[in-house]
Amino acid sequence: MAQFRLQGTKVLAATLGGGGDTVKAKNGSMVAYDGEMAFKKLSGGGDGVRGMVTRRLTGEQMTVMEVKGQGTCYFADRASDISLVRLAGEKLHVEASNLLCTDGGLRTGTTFTGLRGASQGNGLFTTSVEGTGWAAVMSDGPAVLLRVTRDTPLQVDPGAYVAHQGDLRQSFQSGVNFRTFMGEGSGESFQVRFEGDGVVYVQPSERNTLGGDV
Amino acid sequence: MTSQTPHGSAPQDYQVFDAATLPANDNVNPYAFSVDLDGQWFLQKGKMIAYYGQIDFHGIGHGRLDRLVAGSFHSPLHAADWVVAEGRGKLLLADRAFDINSFDLEEGNLTVRSGNLLAFDPALSLKQSIIPGFLTLIGTGKFVAASNGEVHFVEPPVRVDPQALVGWADCPSPCHHYDHQYMRGVMGGVRAMTGLGGASGEEHQFEFVGAGTVLIQSTEMLLEDRATGQVPHQAGVPGDGSGGAGGPGGQLPGQLGGLQRRLGL
Repeated sequence: MAQFRLQGTKVLAATLGGGGDTVKAKNGSMVAYDGEMAFKKLSGGGDGVRGMVTRRLTGEQMTVMEVKGQGTCYFADRASDISLVRLAGEKLHVEASNLLCTDGGLRTGTTFTGLRGASQGNGLFTTSVEGTGWAAVMSDGPAVLLRVTRDTPLQVDPGAYVAHQGDLRQSFQSGVNFRTFMGEGSGESFQVRFEGDGVVYVQPSERNTLGGDV
Repeated sequence: MTSQTPHGSAPQDYQVFDAATLPANDNVNPYAFSVDLDGQWFLQKGKMIAYYGQIDFHGIGHGRLDRLVAGSFHSPLHAADWVVAEGRGKLLLADRAFDINSFDLEEGNLTVRSGNLLAFDPALSLKQSIIPGFLTLIGTGKFVAASNGEVHFVEPPVRVDPQALVGWADCPSPCHHYDHQYMRGVMGGVRAMTGLGGASGEEHQFEFVGAGTVLIQSTEMLLEDRATGQVPHQAGVPGDGSGGAGGPGGQLPGQLGGLQRRLGL
């Protein structure tokens, strides 16, 4: 299994031990490597034909490459901050655009998230990562990890949402009222509410969202 | 290069905050600020990234917030860019991953570039500065401002680059300073107007004198200005577009006078 560590906060170093160790990374995110590496583009997110069609249909496209070899490979993308997640059988939900690299042994798929995606302009689906191994998640600015418990649900701006883990239900919360249509909207009309037990990753920045100006 | 063991960055090594462990009115990291809300706060639209608790966001307009707005806001027209957060809970603020700082004012005043101000306690009152594009906060309370890179505090007398200026506290308003040796004469005018002949880009500064503190950011990349609203069209009010000295067509702040005037034509 490939080992991940951070070199600073914006570069991921993945150590591959040879013998079939692979990682899947965002296409073009390799910045350097030592040892022997082979890069192979995986069409349509690397989940086979079915995954490719699903990704295309759901708008969660990823251009992914498979890296195989022996040595250390360094990944970075637009100086985004990186958080490492170690999975031991759990599932991680992440925006496709925020996923930098996963262990080759992890399964990726698409899950329906409900209405959250609609306000975000990037679809109704997120990418799920499941299995045992490392995953690296990118954020604009260092991610803040917020715990959700049964007593303390969390509301997140869709533009700041990066990923979540655990047993969480999400629902879409809208504060749209007649004022919104009178041009007196609050700019915070759409939120995603997380309930249950788990951790949500938010970034200190907002993507441009359809709901952002409302 | 710092190297960590492969297991050194397991997720449990990241600090996970919850409703109780989020700091109260303090930074979570240099880029995110946590407000312990019990009552009301003003924030710029779209700067909330997450919250715990029961918080409502209201656009500012007519209604039951009228009194609050009248007390803390003194420019009815730029209120459209602001939101009142009301309720109880922890509120996280951030702005495009810029550095965020909070400041406490005690019976003081601070003038800040409109694009940099993020949120403030309604105990403070917000007024338009007579310098276009700047806002002044007066009173006692806390406010949160963003900057591109860390904020540095310097004491007058000082001259600062216009793009690095974030704001100033307690000192009189700045004046323009020009490098006269360099700008004098016909060639100086040509240089200033066209950049030809080797303008260094540093011929013009803001000069601060008197007692107080000047806030500068560590880059010359400005945060986008926010509209601060119109000022009344009145004789003697700067920035209303009918300006006295600018002549026809008006003049941008910091721009030099027309070439004709320099040449005495």
